Amino acid sequence: MNHQPFESWLLNEAALNAQQQRELDSHLRSCAYCAALTKTEKVLRGMKMALPAPGFASRFQTRLMVEKAADRQRKFLGSIFFTISGLALMLWLASPYLAVFFASPASWIAALVEVGVFLVTTLQASVEAGAVIFDVMGRFMPPFAWMVLVSSIAGVSLLWSVSIWRFVRVPQGV
Amino acid sequence: MNDELVWVTQAQQGSDEAFTKLVEEHQTHVYNLCYRMLGEPESAEDAAQETFLRAYQNLHRYDQSRSFATWLLSIAAHYCIDRLRRKKLSVFSMDEEREDGTVFEIADPASPDPEAESTRREARDRLHLLLQNLDQTDRAAVIMRYWHDYSDVEIAESLQLTVSAVKSRLHRSRRALAGMWQEEAAPRARTERRQHESPAF
Repeated sequence: MNHQPFESWLLNEAALNAQQQRELDSHLRSCAYCAALTKTEKVLRGMKMALPAPGFASRFQTRLMVEKAADRQRKFLGSIFFTISGLALMLWLASPYLAVFFASPASWIAALVEVGVFLVTTLQASVEAGAVIFDVMGRFMPPFAWMVLVSSIAGVSLLWSVSIWRFVRVPQGV
Repeated sequence: MNDELVWVTQAQQGSDEAFTKLVEEHQTHVYNLCYRMLGEPESAEDAAQETFLRAYQNLHRYDQSRSFATWLLSIAAHYCIDRLRRKKLSVFSMDEEREDGTVFEIADPASPDPEAESTRREARDRLHLLLQNLDQTDRAAVIMRYWHDYSDVEIAESLQLTVSAVKSRLHRSRRALAGMWQEEAAPRARTERRQHESPAF
C-alpha cells in the first residue's frame, strides 16, 4: 500500500481494525514523515495547560479600575469640550440677533419677518437650484453614477450615525 | 441555572464581584490560549488581561445561549491573531523578542520516572516552539482542538470559519508540524550519532 492512505488514517484519526493497525505499525517503521505525524499528535495530546502567575484576578481588578478611571476622565473631558464648543457655536450664530433682542418690539417683529422671508426665499432658491442641477446633471450622468452617488451619501450618513452612537453609548457593566 | 450563568447575569447587571468570579473560573483557559498563541508569558499575561477587559466592556453583547467559555476564547483568539499580525508588520523581529527567555512548564516532581518526564517535557517544549511557525488562525485552531478539546463546530464558531475550513486548517497544521518535527529531528539524530562515532570517522 502506498503512503497516502496511512496519512489519511492518521489525520482523520480513523478507527482501525487489527489488520489495518498492523499495516500502519509496519508503515510507521519505514516512513519518517508518518512517524513524525504520530509523534506530534501524541505530544499535542499530552500538552499541559500553561498557568498564569498567581494573583491574575487581582491584577485584572487593578487594571479594570485604571481603565474605568481613564474612561471616566475621557468622558468628562469629552462632555466639557462638546459643551464649550456648543455654547461657542450658539453664541456665534446668535451674535447678529443679540442686538435685535435688546431693541423695541417693533424691531423684533421686523427682524422676525425678515428671518421668515429669508428662510422662505432660501428654501425656494435651494429647491429651484436643486431642480436645475438634477435636470442638467441628469443629461450627463448615467444611472449607475446616480446610484454610486446616492449610495455614497447613504454610506457617509450611516458612518456618521454609527460614530455618534459609538461615542455616546455607555457599555453595560462599566 | 448554573453558577456561571448566575455570575454572567449579575455581571451584566453591573456586579464587578460576579465578573471577578468569571475571571477566576476562566483565567487558565484564556491565559493558556494566549500563551500558546503568542509564545511568551509576558505577552500572554497582557493579552489575557486585555481579553477579560474586552469581555467586560462587551458583556451586554454576550448571548447567553452560547457557551461563555467559547465566547471568551473567541475574543482571546481574535485579539492574539490581530496582535500577531501587527507584530508581523512592525519592524522588530521575532528572534529579538524570543531572546528574553521563553518559560516552559515546570517538571512534575511527583513523576515516577524523571528521565521520561524530562524527555516528554523537552518534546512539549519543541512542539511549543514549532507551533509559533504556524499561521495565526491555524495555530488558534490547533490550540482550541488539543488544549481545549473543542469540536470542529466550536472552533468554527469561535474563529468565524466554516467547519470544512477548520478541518482543512487542522490537517494543514498537523502536516506542517510533522514536517518541521521531522526536519528538526534529522540534524539532531546526526549530531547524536556523531557523539558516539570514533574520531577516526
